[in-house]
This record gives sequence, structure tokens and C-alpha cells, in this order.
Amino acid sequence: MSLGHHHAWLPPGHLRPPDDHHDSRSLNGISKSFSGPRTPQMRASVDADGSHAGNLISEADIAAEEDPRMAIFRDLYRLSEAKVNTLFSDQKKAEDRVGAAVADADGAESRNERADQPAPPPPTAKKPARKLDDDDYDDYDDDDDGDAPSPPKPKPLTPSQDSGAALSLSRYTSGTTSAGGDASKETKKESLEDIRKKLEEDKKATEEAAKRSFHTLFYTLENDRDAMLDQQRLEESERQVEAEMSSQANAGNNATSATNGYGSLSNANLGASSLTLKNLIARIDMKRTMVQASDAELRSLMSEVRKNRSKWASEDKIGQEELYEAAEKVLSELKAMTEHSSAFLTRVNKRDAPDYYTIIKHPMDLGSMTKKLKALQYKSKQEFVDDLNLIWSNCFKYNTNPDHFLRKHALYMKKETEKLVPLIPEIVIRDRAEVEAEERRLQLAELDGAEESDDEPIMSSRGRKAPGKSSSKKGTAPTRNTPSGSEPPAGSSQPQAPVRADSDVPMDGAQNGFATPPPGGTQTPSDPAGVGAGVSGGHGDSMEIDGLGPSSNTITALSASGVEAEDSEYKVWKQVTKKDRALIAAERHRLFKGDKLNSDEPALLRTKAGMRRWLRSQRNASTEGDKALEPSTQAMESGPAGETLAEGIEVEEDKVIPDYYDVMSGVPDLPTQLLWREDSDGNIVDASEEFLRILPKGSFTQPDSKLSRKMDANMRQMQETRKICSKIGIVKQMQLQSQMYQNQFQKYQPEPFVEQDAPPHVLNDEGPVVSPWICKAALQRSVAKIFYHTGFEEYQPSALDAVTDIASDFFKKIGETFKSYIEAPKVPDTDSTESVSSATPWKKAHTEPEIVLHTLNSVGIGVEDIESYIKDDVERLGTKLSTAHDRLRSLLSELLRPALADGGEDGSHAFADGSEQFIGGDFAEDIDEDFFGFKELGLDKEFGLATLSVPLHLLQNRMYNAAQAQNTSATQAVTLFPPPPSYPRITSETLPSQIGLVQSFFGAKLQAGNSEGLVEDLELPPKQRPMAAKPRLPASGKIPPPSAPTGPTTSPQKRTLPPSATGPVSAIKLEPSEPSKKKLKKNSGGATEVSTEGDDATAALDTKTSDDPSSKEPTANDTTAEANTTKNGLDLPDISNSDSNAADLAKSSDSTVPLTNGTTGDAS
Amino acid sequence: MSTDRTPKYRQEIQQMMFVSGETAEASVETTTLIEEIVRQQVVEILARSTALATRRGVRSISTDDLIFLIRHDKAKVSRLKTFLSWKDVRKNVKDSDDKGGADAADFAGADDPLAGGVVAGPQDVASKPKNKRARVGLVWDVNSFYSVQVPEREDEEDEEEEEQNYATLQRLAAADERTKHMTKEEYVFWSECRQASFTYRKSKRFREWAGFGIVTESKPNDDIVDILGFLTFEIVQTLTEEALKVKEREDREKNRRGGAENGAGENTKKRKRETGLFDPPEEGRTPVEPKHIREAYRKLQATPNKNIAMLFHNGRVPTRMPLRLI
Repeated sequence: MSLGHHHAWLPPGHLRPPDDHHDSRSLNGISKSFSGPRTPQMRASVDADGSHAGNLISEADIAAEEDPRMAIFRDLYRLSEAKVNTLFSDQKKAEDRVGAAVADADGAESRNERADQPAPPPPTAKKPARKLDDDDYDDYDDDDDGDAPSPPKPKPLTPSQDSGAALSLSRYTSGTTSAGGDASKETKKESLEDIRKKLEEDKKATEEAAKRSFHTLFYTLENDRDAMLDQQRLEESERQVEAEMSSQANAGNNATSATNGYGSLSNANLGASSLTLKNLIARIDMKRTMVQASDAELRSLMSEVRKNRSKWASEDKIGQEELYEAAEKVLSELKAMTEHSSAFLTRVNKRDAPDYYTIIKHPMDLGSMTKKLKALQYKSKQEFVDDLNLIWSNCFKYNTNPDHFLRKHALYMKKETEKLVPLIPEIVIRDRAEVEAEERRLQLAELDGAEESDDEPIMSSRGRKAPGKSSSKKGTAPTRNTPSGSEPPAGSSQPQAPVRADSDVPMDGAQNGFATPPPGGTQTPSDPAGVGAGVSGGHGDSMEIDGLGPSSNTITALSASGVEAEDSEYKVWKQVTKKDRALIAAERHRLFKGDKLNSDEPALLRTKAGMRRWLRSQRNASTEGDKALEPSTQAMESGPAGETLAEGIEVEEDKVIPDYYDVMSGVPDLPTQLLWREDSDGNIVDASEEFLRILPKGSFTQPDSKLSRKMDANMRQMQETRKICSKIGIVKQMQLQSQMYQNQFQKYQPEPFVEQDAPPHVLNDEGPVVSPWICKAALQRSVAKIFYHTGFEEYQPSALDAVTDIASDFFKKIGETFKSYIEAPKVPDTDSTESVSSATPWKKAHTEPEIVLHTLNSVGIGVEDIESYIKDDVERLGTKLSTAHDRLRSLLSELLRPALADGGEDGSHAFADGSEQFIGGDFAEDIDEDFFGFKELGLDKEFGLATLSVPLHLLQNRMYNAAQAQNTSATQAVTLFPPPPSYPRITSETLPSQIGLVQSFFGAKLQAGNSEGLVEDLELPPKQRPMAAKPRLPASGKIPPPSAPTGPTTSPQKRTLPPSATGPVSAIKLEPSEPSKKKLKKNSGGATEVSTEGDDATAALDTKTSDDPSSKEPTANDTTAEANTTKNGLDLPDISNSDSNAADLAKSSDSTVPLTNGTTGDAS
Repeated sequence: MSTDRTPKYRQEIQQMMFVSGETAEASVETTTLIEEIVRQQVVEILARSTALATRRGVRSISTDDLIFLIRHDKAKVSRLKTFLSWKDVRKNVKDSDDKGGADAADFAGADDPLAGGVVAGPQDVASKPKNKRARVGLVWDVNSFYSVQVPEREDEEDEEEEEQNYATLQRLAAADERTKHMTKEEYVFWSECRQASFTYRKSKRFREWAGFGIVTESKPNDDIVDILGFLTFEIVQTLTEEALKVKEREDREKNRRGGAENGAGENTKKRKRETGLFDPPEEGRTPVEPKHIREAYRKLQATPNKNIAMLFHNGRVPTRMPLRLI
């Protein structure tokens, strides 16, 4: 909602202007749709210029008007000075005039023109003025640049912007004074300006100080509620005012005043668009030479772009915008001091004070003033100030008691008023027509003003308040006479129209207006009735363009102003930030319904602007310490630095609150490793490397300790014992049945337990690894370990899971208990208080051992329990295990003693315990008696028998039989010639290589046997062969005739591979049949090693037990006796060798073969 | 089962209490209360061991089931093992008696299940290996870790047993202390009392009393009944000892306060009487009352912290905890 829009679409309403002071002008036919009071004047210009385009006419108008205005300035000064003197005499005295002038100029030319400005030479003001104008452009552009990106930093910007206004003002004044030669007046005027400036600067300084204190002090939210309530009250009163006003407006059926834009919302939109416009202007100015269009065209274009105007801007009322802008700010500022102002916000209620209206004849309150302001009832600053003072004086008058609390409030408010009032420019609103008429009159008198008028439009287009000031000055004298607002301005403007018309003509002729395109022209296209939209319209535009920056800044400045006198930093804080805090608190408050969160309420959303602001303030806070730069340069620096593309997309709201207060907008710090950094070459620096760490080894393994070593030793012991057990079992089994298959007797091949650590893992932060599954797996493993240690060999996963869950639950409780003991509130340290008196020492409620003991007690575990566990369940278990191991081992050796005693496989040393005589029958050796006649036969020589006893294995008939059966072919193989390599198995691949006769036969066999390849009969275990190894004599004693069935069966047949047959297949099969706890240790490091070892063993076993006449076989057979003798001699006492029992036995039986052959052969 | 509430073991309980240190004659209420408690415990033991047996897939209770129930009380397990081993010895002796063995006299001392473990050690094991105490193996012992029965070896010292006998020895020492100054008659009475049992030669009564057949389906064998007899004795003893402690503390408290607060009439005499050098021994003191038994029972039933910690979920412990076996 902006003024420009109003102009665009309001005409119907404008037909009936408000009945106060606009109505008379509606009579003019041409300007039916035009709202301002300038109608007659415009018509006059149209008359004068005839067929000129609206643009040009208005430009000419402006050019012509300048000088008369300047003349009016002088009058204005005199009058205003008198007023100011009365109001601010004390302040003014304090000001050094010369210094004030310098300061003013400084403020104006803060960057460039320091040297030029200090002594503005009144007579030669034209040249410098022009120069200044150019500079002013730059200033303006700079301002724009600076302004656009950094509204949150008003301080560096505000002076420059205001200085722009002040500069132009001073230029005007210098111009006028040079003409009028009234130097003293000028300086006075300047000093007045300076006072204002000073005030504002002070306020800004205060605000700045407050802002700085944001970084040093931490404020809490405790006052927010009050602030919010106050703010709500304030808003309520304003709403009332508005409601009344709008009802009035409706009643009066006049929409003209709508040009003033009641909606305060317009500020936001206005700010946004004017921002863009500013940048646009700046950009255009930079590339001015490249643009073909004339200035006028540009301006008209821009005016089309521009959307917003101040709500107070008025075409017809000169100075209204400035006056009302300031007055409104003062008013809202006063209202915002809710601590004191609340009593004055609304009309005094008759119920509260029945006699109030008898005592007070002219009641006044801030709300009414707002109403009046919005109804545009103030014509001058004086009226406004009078009303203000009326409030306070009413209060004093009614509340006569000097101790009355309201008096204090009123006093405070009055003081504040006095502080604030100088901020309102001394403006008396005049009708444009009137002013212009006067200007023209004056201009006629002062011809040299023509040159100045060159400058004027430029300034008015780019400078801030210059036109407004000038117009206000001009308007002073006439409005003096006019009664405030009620009298229609048309009355005063009408008579001057002719004069103006007169003056127009020469000015148009002077063509000055063409040289410097006046802003008035920009107005025209957008305004349907803007044919004559003159200087003030242009002024309005320029004001609009700047609108946002200054207005927001002044708001903050004003808000700071009331605080100036406060000594406590905290009060400053409260004052400065009250409004924003209230807003934030209200936002928060909306989320609640009663005491609960209102879930229906939309969430608070962070805004880009807020985040930008936060970032900026963070940066400022960091740079504040070391950088003491000029504010403006800082602004220039930080502006582009913090600029992003998103800048300006959202409305920048300026909040005077510390960044931490606006929690929502906070942007978390990026961790340093995530920052996007580039080195000098533009390559991205990968910072992550430095922050990565590898999970230290052993995080998930049991730490090495005495206990763990003991437990490991126990478990190892158990494994060994189990190995023995399995050997015992096999021995017992073999006593009952002979070995048929390779894996007929399962060997027990436990692997040592190796705790597997988590695989190498990279972390990018400190602290423990939080990965529940790994932790759970580790706990599961620990539980499994304890299980095994307790004696379980295998466990079902579900049982393990259940116990793991219970354990983790229990440990969680322990952890929680620990935590609560650790986090117990500290208690005053009574011991050390005596020694150290001042500082109250606090100590932890529990020492660490106490914490541990408390925790253990509360989970029902005592130290004794733990100790007894270690003693009984670990250490004593260890001894028990070792005794059991010893016993089992001795049991095994007892079992094996007859067959495989320590003496070696031939059993020659097996009878060292004295019993051998009975078994081996060499008890007669002592008497040198050859009991068996071995010596006689020469066997002792032949086989190198140490004694003359019968070799043990001969006594073990069953084992011998098994060995004999197995090793028949091996016995036969003890020949001089190495056996030929075995034929390859007949498979479907090798089938074609066979002779054609058998191919079909083999093919059929292969088909029947799933084509896995055919097995030779010789590869089978003896019992599975179709033909017995040894033909036996039947019980009848008759040798059966070689009948039909034996014939085919005796010949080795090729048959399909049985599932449990020998060969590499079974060797591979062995591996998965390993103990199931291996599953738990899937990743155990020793697994592969051991399994390969096992494979080797099985492979060796294969080669030995199978009849496969491989190339190794002869050598193996040649050396078997000797090698195995030594090997078994080594191995057997130490039963814990890694070979399986089955392997041992197989070897032993295997190795007996050559001897057996020899002896049996000879013996039989 | 509870229709017949007449106490059946008053005399036995009194005797047991006497052995356990209660010198005065306990009232009928006290013994009845103890009897009820013991019965409750026995029923619980039976029920639980039956459940265990069922879980094993066996219908009848075995000694292992019973021992498993008290496995955490190592001293008691040790005593029980001793008891069982001597029982075994006795049986063997009996067998050999039947065969005309003459060694029964040597082991007469072993008849007493409590004293036997200490009094009669296997003096000449070598000569009579048959009568050697059989070690009672527990299924959760190391020996059962392995698939192969671990052979016994005689020469090995069972220091574990020694250590676990400590509590038993303490108890025997206390008994010894008490009997030190007894006259012959008193000692005879004492030793009679020591033989008091719920089960010995009263197995039928015990079965009825404990509700066999209702609690368990199978008919427990003699071993079980013997163990139960042993356990019931232990229960009474534990209860009595605990109750005596409670009473002693109460008396001490009363003496300290001088009985000023409660029952002034009863304790006025006591207050005046200071314990002096020549005071007669406190033999004639008041017997244990049911309240002491109750307090002792409460203490014995207190849930240990560990159980609380384990069962603590969602901020509370299950209100009803299972009965604790004394």
C-alpha cells in the first residue's frame, strides 16, 4: 500500500475531498482526479505553458520556483528561530555557532567534502553549491549503496543520509542568505539544525552503546512480558484511534485523506521497493553516459517503477510529510515509553475521574493526538507541541498533589518531550499553491535566483529533505496567518495564482528546467492528474526513495533518545529494545493457549533477513574489537562482504536487539571441518582430513587384565580338555567298531578364541562410538565368553540374545545409577570452609570410590561378591579345570597305553612300567630266554627289534584288522617300482578319450550317477568295495567255486561317487563341521590359520589312507615307519598337539603297515 | 490340605529350636508359626523342584533339583553334600553289614548327619575303598563340562570342601560351646534333640504334612525325603537363630531405654537389675515369641538389592516377589 497507488486509483474518491481543508479545491475542473491542493497552481502552469508536455511544464515550474522559496526561507527562519529560541534557548546556548556550522557541514559531507564545506561563503555560494550538487549525487549514490545492504547498521548510514538533507538545506540557506545577506540568521538556522543533528547523533550514540552492550551483557527475557503488554496497550490505543478515524472518514465520505495512507503496513513494502529503486538509480547514475534516454525519460520510467510514498506525503501540502513524519515518530516514541506514558495514552475516563472535565477544559491525550495527526489536523510543529504540553499541563493541573504518581510520569514525559521536540522540523504546512505563488513573487524580486534554480531540481531529486525544508520555510509566513487546518488552503492559494502565472513565464523562458531535469516530471506519468505535479510531488518522490533508510533509522534513534539520560545500562537496554522485544514476545505468546502450546498455531519461521542480520551482527561483534573504522567505510566494507544474492529479497527489518535474543534467527556455527575453504589457488581445502581419526584398536575387545588372562587360560584349558575327551571318545568308539570312513570319528579341532575387533573405522569426532549394533555384538561376545567359561559349549542364538538383553538392561541400570551419583548436587565443603573463609567451596557429594560402592550396593552387588566370583568362579575353576584335564589325560593315556604307549608306535617302549613282560612275553629276556623264538627266526635282526617281545599292535586284533584292511594295497605297494599314476576319473569330459566300446557304458553310468564322475573301486573304503580285500574261507572250509556272481564283482568296477566317499571332496567337507562356536567368532583371526592347518592334516590323511597311488605315496610309504615313529614319539606325550585324534590314529595305524607286513608275512 | 491345622511337629520343632540356641520353652503359637513357615517352604521347594524336573523332561524330582534350588547358599550346599555323602557311606556300610561286614561300628558316628562330616573322617580309606565317602557331584560342576566322565582320583585334596565346611564348623563350634558345661543328662537330652527330624521315621506323617501328591505328582524317593528333612531342620535352625538375634536386639534396646516407654510394669525389674559380675546366667530368659519369628521371617524374606535392580522396570519393582527359600 503506497501513496503512489493511491494516486493511481483513487480519483473517484478524490472527487470529494475531505471537508476540512481540501474540499474547496475539488471545484477545479481540470484536476478533478488530482488530490493535492495544487490544483489551481497547476492549472495556472498549464495555462501559462500551453501545449507543453506536463513534464516540461513542471520542470519549468520548479526552476522558477526556487528563488521565491529562498526568499521565503528567510522569513521562515526568523519565525522559526524565535520559536526555537523560546523552546531550546538553553540548548542553543551550549552550541558553538561556528562549530555548529562546521559540524553541520561535516555531517553533510562526511566523506568527500570536508575541506570544501567548513566555510560556506555566502556570496559565492553558487559555484560551490553546484559542485556540491555533483558531490551530492555521489553522496546519494553512496548512501544508496551503503543503505541498501545494511539497514541493520543504521549508525554509519544515518548521518550521511541526514547530512544529505542537511546539506541541501544548508545549500538553500546559503543561497538565500547570500541573497538576503542575513548571515546571522543562517548560522542560527544552522545551529538549530545542528541541535537536532546533535540530538540524533547522541541518540544514535546511545543506541550504539546499547548495541555494543549487547555483546558485553547478557540480557534475559524477564521483562519481555511487560514490554509485550505495554506494546499491546499501545497498539490497542492506536487501533482505537484508527477506528475512530476511519469511521470519521467514512462518515465524511471523503477519501482524499486516504492519500495519507492509514495503513502503517505500507512501511514495509515501501522500504523494499524503494530499496531496489535506490540501487537502480545508483546504477543508472554510474552508467549515465551509456544511457540514451534523457533524464526526464529516466525519471518518468523510474516513477513508473516506484511504488511507494510516505503516507504523509501530499502533493498539495508542502512540508506536511516532513512535519508529520517527525511528529508521528515523536508521538509514537512518547507512547512507547510505556512505563510512563500509559496514563496518557487514552482519554481520561469520566468514571475514573468524575470531575476531570470540570477542571480540565481542554483535555488532551496521546491517543487523541494520534487521531489528530492522522486526520492531518496539525498545521505546524507549534500546534503539535502545544498539544503535547497540554497533556502534561493538564496532568499537573488536575493532580495538584505534588506527590501524585501521575505527576512524576507527566514530568518524565515532559522531559522526554523536550528532548524529542527539537527533532521535529520547524515546519508550517502550507498549500502548495500558496507557496508557489509566494515563491514567484519573491523570485521576481531576486533575479539572480535563476541560476540557483539550476541546482535546485537536481538536489530535489536526489537530496533528501531539501525541498521539504525549503517549502516549509516558504510556507511559514502564510500559514502563520491561516488558522490551523480548518481553513481551506485554497483560499490562500487562489489569490496567488496569478502571481505565479506571471512568474512562470519568464522561468520557462529561461529553460533552466530542461538542463536539470526536475523530479516533478517523474511524477507525471504515474499520476493521471499529475500534469502539474510539481516540486513537492518530486520531493515526495525523493523522500520516498530514501524513505526506508532514514525512517527506520530515525525510529531507532528516537527510541534511543528517551534513554539518553538514563544512567543504568540496563534501562537503556530496556528502553531501546522494548518494542522489538515486545514483538518477539508477542510472537512467542501467540504460540500458547493458556499454559499450553497451541498446536494449531503456525510455527515461528526464521526469516532470511533475520539470519542475515544475525550473521552480520556476529561478524560485527568479532570485528568490533580491533576495527575502529570510520562508520561509513565500515558500512561500505561490511555491506558487500555480507552481501548475498538473497540480500534485499526479503524485507530487512531492523531490530534493535542483540542477536542472541532472536534465537530463531541464529545460524549455528559450522564446525571447522565442514567449512568451505579455498586456498590461494581457489582449490578447495579439504579440512576434513585433520579431524578424522581412526577408531583406536581394542575399542571392542576385552582389555588385557589379570582376570581376562585367567579366563582365557581357563577357556583354553577347557578346549584342551575337550580335545582329550574327544580322543577318549574316539578310542572308546574304536574299541567297538573299526574305522570305515575318513570322518567316521569326528575329530574335535577347537580353535583358540580370538576376540575380533571392529574393522578399521574412521570417525570424525571425539567420543565413544555410538553404534548400538556393534556394542551389542561386543556385549554378546562377552556374554558368550562367560557362558563358555561357565561350561557351555554351544548356545542357541535366542538364549544368547536374551541374556545379552538382560545384561545390557542391567548395565544400563548401573550406568544410570552411576550417573545419578555423579550428578548429585554438590555439597558445601565443611572441611575447607574453616580454612578458606570467603570462597564457599563446594565439593562433590561423593568421592569416586563412594560412587562406585554406592552404585554396587544399589544394584545388589558387593565387593565380596565380585571377589568371590573371581576367587571361586575363575581361579578355583582354573584349578579344577587343570585337575580335570590331568585326570582325563591320564585316562586317555591309560586307554591308549596298550596300543600307543610312550615308547613309540611299535610299542617297544610301551611296557616300561614293568608290565610288559606279561604282555609281550619277554619276561624271559632277563634270563636270556627267547620265549617266542624270535631270535631263532632272526626276526630281531631283521626288524631291529629291541626286545624279543611281541609287538604290541599285534595284540590289538581289531585295530590291526582295520589297519590291515585299509593298508592292503599300501602293503602291496611296497615294491621296487613306483605305482603308475592313477587314471583320471571318468567324467563326461574325459569320456570321449575312452575307447568307443566302453563309451556308451560309461555314459550310462555317468547318467545314472549325476555325471559327477566315476569312482574306481579302489578309491572306496574297503568295506564298500564290491570285492572283499581278502577272500575268506567260509565256515564250511570249502573254497567256493568261482561262480558267476564273484566273477564280475571281483573286478574293480567303476561306480558313482558315494556321498561320503573319500577324496578331496571330503577334505573340504570337513571344514564346515567344525564346532559351532566358530560361528560366534566368524571373524576370528586364527580361524583361517587353524582351518588351513586342519586342511593340511586332512590332506595328509587323505593321501595316506586312500589307495590313491599318488606320486607322493612311495616316498611317504618308504619313510613312514621312521618318520612316524619319531613323530608319534614326539606327539603322543604331548597330547595337545594340533592334529586331530583321528589323524593320530590314522597315522599310527598307517605307520604300522610296513612292520605289520613284514612281521605278519614272516610270522604267517 | 490346610483344613487340618493342628500342629504336628511341635516337639520336633521345640527340640530343633533348643539345638539352635533357644533355651526357653517356646509357646505353642511360636512352634505353630514355625511349622507353618516350614511347611510353606517345603511346599515351595517341592513345587519348584517339580517344575525343574518337568523342564528337564523328568517326572520325578532328583536330588540335583533340590540342590539347584539352594545352589546360591554355598555353605548349605556343602552341608547337604556332606550329608548325602555320609548317607551314601551309611548305605554302603549297611550293605556290607548285610554281607557280614564288620566295619559298621567304625561309622556309627556318621549317623549324625551334622556331626558326621567332622567327627568321622575316612581314616583308613585304602583298606576299605568301598566305604569311602562318595563325592556328590553336581551337574553344574566342572566334571560335567566334558563328555567323558572325569575319573576320580583319590589322592587329590578337596580343598574346596574344606573351605565350604567352614560355616558348618562354626555351627559345630557353637554347639560345642553350649554343650561344654552340660551335665550328662543334659547332654543326653541335647543329643536327643539333635536327632529331631521332620522326616526320620516319620516319613508318612511328613508326606501328609507337606502335601506330597498334591504338590508333586510323583512320589519322592527316600533321598528326597531325607534331603527335605535336612532342609527343614536348616529352616528351623535359621529361623530360630534369626529370631534369637531379633529378640536379643529387642532386649538390648529395652534395657537401654530402661523400658520407660513401653510396658513399664513388665520391665521395671529389669531396669533395676544391672548386669553384675555375679549375675546368674541368662538361662531363665523369656522364650522367643511369634513376633520375633515373624520379624526374623520378614528379614529372611527381604528381597536382595540385586533382584530389585534386575527387576526394576519403569520405575517400579514387581509388587509380588517369589517366596524366598530360607
